[in-house]
This record gives sequence, C-alpha cells and structure tokens, in this order.
Amino acid sequence: MKKIDKKNPFKTPEGYFDEFHEKLVERLSDDKVVIPDKDGFKMPEKYLEGLHKNISQKLDKKDVKVISLKPFRKYYYVAASIAAVAFVVLGLNWNPSEKFGFEDLANTEIETYFEDNELGLNTYEIAEVLPIDELEIIDILDTQFKEEKVLDYLNENLDDFEELNLEEYE
Amino acid sequence: MIAEEDLVHDLKQAGTRSQAFEVLVNNYKQRLYWHIRRIVLNHDDTDDVLQNTFIKVYKNIEGFKGDSKLYSWMYRIATNEALTHLKNKSKRMGISDGELQSRLVENLKADVYFEGDAIQLKLQEAIATLPEKQKLVFNMKYFEELKYEEVSEILGTSVGALKASYHLAVKKIEAFLKED
Repeated sequence: MKKIDKKNPFKTPEGYFDEFHEKLVERLSDDKVVIPDKDGFKMPEKYLEGLHKNISQKLDKKDVKVISLKPFRKYYYVAASIAAVAFVVLGLNWNPSEKFGFEDLANTEIETYFEDNELGLNTYEIAEVLPIDELEIIDILDTQFKEEKVLDYLNENLDDFEELNLEEYE
Repeated sequence: MIAEEDLVHDLKQAGTRSQAFEVLVNNYKQRLYWHIRRIVLNHDDTDDVLQNTFIKVYKNIEGFKGDSKLYSWMYRIATNEALTHLKNKSKRMGISDGELQSRLVENLKADVYFEGDAIQLKLQEAIATLPEKQKLVFNMKYFEELKYEEVSEILGTSVGALKASYHLAVKKIEAFLKED
C-alpha cells in the first residue's frame, strides 16, 4: 500500500488560536444571566418605629354595630331585581317567532348550540356517529400544550411532585 | 431574644399579652414587612396587610397549638393576607390577576419607595409572570434565604415540589432577563 502523507491538510485563519480565549470569555459574559441580588424596594424612614402604636390603636377600637334606619330597603331592591329579570325574560319570549326551517340556521349557529348545550348523548351514542379511527387528538384539543405549561400545572396542583421522578428537579 | 415558647405563653395570658405583643411586633415586623412587600409590591398595601397580619395573630393566638414554629404560622397568615389582598384588589378593579400584576410592576417606575435600576425592574417584571407558587418560593428562597424545610412548613408543600418550583422559576426568570 502506498504510504499516505500524514501531514494535516486543514488550515486555520491567521491568529485564530491567539484570540480564541478572549473570544470565549466574551461569549461566556454575554450568555451569563445574573439575577440581581437586591430587589430595589425601600420603606419610608421610621415607618417601623410607629408600627406597634398603629396596630395597638386599631386593636383598641371597639366594634360599633350599625343599625340600619330603613331595614326593609334591601328587600325592596331584591324584589325590584327579581321583577326586572322576570320582565326581561318574558319580554324576550313575547314576540311570536316566524316559522323557520333547519336550513335557515347558519353552520356557526349550529356549532355554537352544540358547544353551549348538553347533548344528552352517552359515549356509546357519540361513538356510533363519530369515526373514532379517523380522529386525532388535535381534532379535540383546541390548543397544543407546551411542556412548560404542563410542568407549571403539575407543579401548582400536585402535592407530591417527587412521585413524578423528574430527575432534573432533584 | 425571648424563647418562642415563653413568648407564646405570655401572649395567651391576659396579664402579659400586651407587653408580649409589643415584643412580637418588634421581633417580626421587619421580616414580615419584606415578605409581604415582595408580594404586593407597594408600601401602602404592605402597611395594610402587615397590620392586618399582626391583628389576626393577636386575635387567634389562643388557637395556635405549637404544631409549627410561631414564625411559620405568622408567615402563613401574612402570605394568605397578602394574596387575599391582591385578589380583592383585582376584583374591585374588574381586572384579571395577571393584569393587576402588570399594573403593579408598571407603577414601580414612579414609586418613590422603589430605588431599583433597570435590571431590578426587569426582575420584578419577570417575577410577575410566574405562577403564584413559583413566585412565592422564588422570593422566599432567593431574597429571604429561607431553607426549603422552612418554606415547606410555611406553604404546606413538600420539599421536592418546592425544589421543582424554584428550579422552574429561576429558569423562567433567566430566560426573561435574557430577552431584549
């Protein structure tokens, strides 16, 4: 076998290694995010000195019961509210509706109806009309869940997060 | 500093309650103030919540059984008072909790009791985007430097869950601070 020249055929730009460390340090400084160790809040001068006195004054105040001079007024308001609601409901149903057919409904109105109302169908009845084998999960879910949101939900709602065995958080 | 058991004992006795309460207020006012302040952000709301917290402690000290440390119990009351204050505020204003958080942070720019620079303001913006638990855990670990076991006693959450909360919070804050 012919002896193959072992000389490195690759080249680097001039001064590349001389500047390499400097570039690396600069890059690390740019990437590093430092969370400030102070929050910037301050309180009024001598605020804490007067705190106990303020609290004591509040504790010393006796509760004064307010007796309404016109106690039945609230019942008038309740009765008036009920009457107003009844009037609105009756008024909406008062007008005799013109006869219309199924074809008069827009598709959006039909969709809104199904979204807002209980169908009263059990899962077997739904399965009979829906082609399950052609359904994808994205057909049912309106939004795609981001991993971050899932983790947030689990973190806020699970009592024992450790059971998930997420090694990253140990 | 008076031992906690003695302080609780004196708070429960009519004859020593007043003096013991003054000791309690003086010992814990600073810590509780900053804990509440980091939740509600402005001084006036903090003042209201802090006073309500101590009043609640005073009125309910008989019910304190000593199952947890006194300061854990007080921190829990302070946290709940602060969160309730925010919820009531957002309801009164007719806006969502998230919108209220944004407005409170925005108000810091003109707040005479906020002397933070641009990055510290951005940090508050970042914290405001966190879910409630992550926000609390971040503040208690990063600024108040409480141990996980202490935070666990205050929030009633396992140490593992707290570590996860803190990890998630830090990641999000770092990502937020990196944004232009």
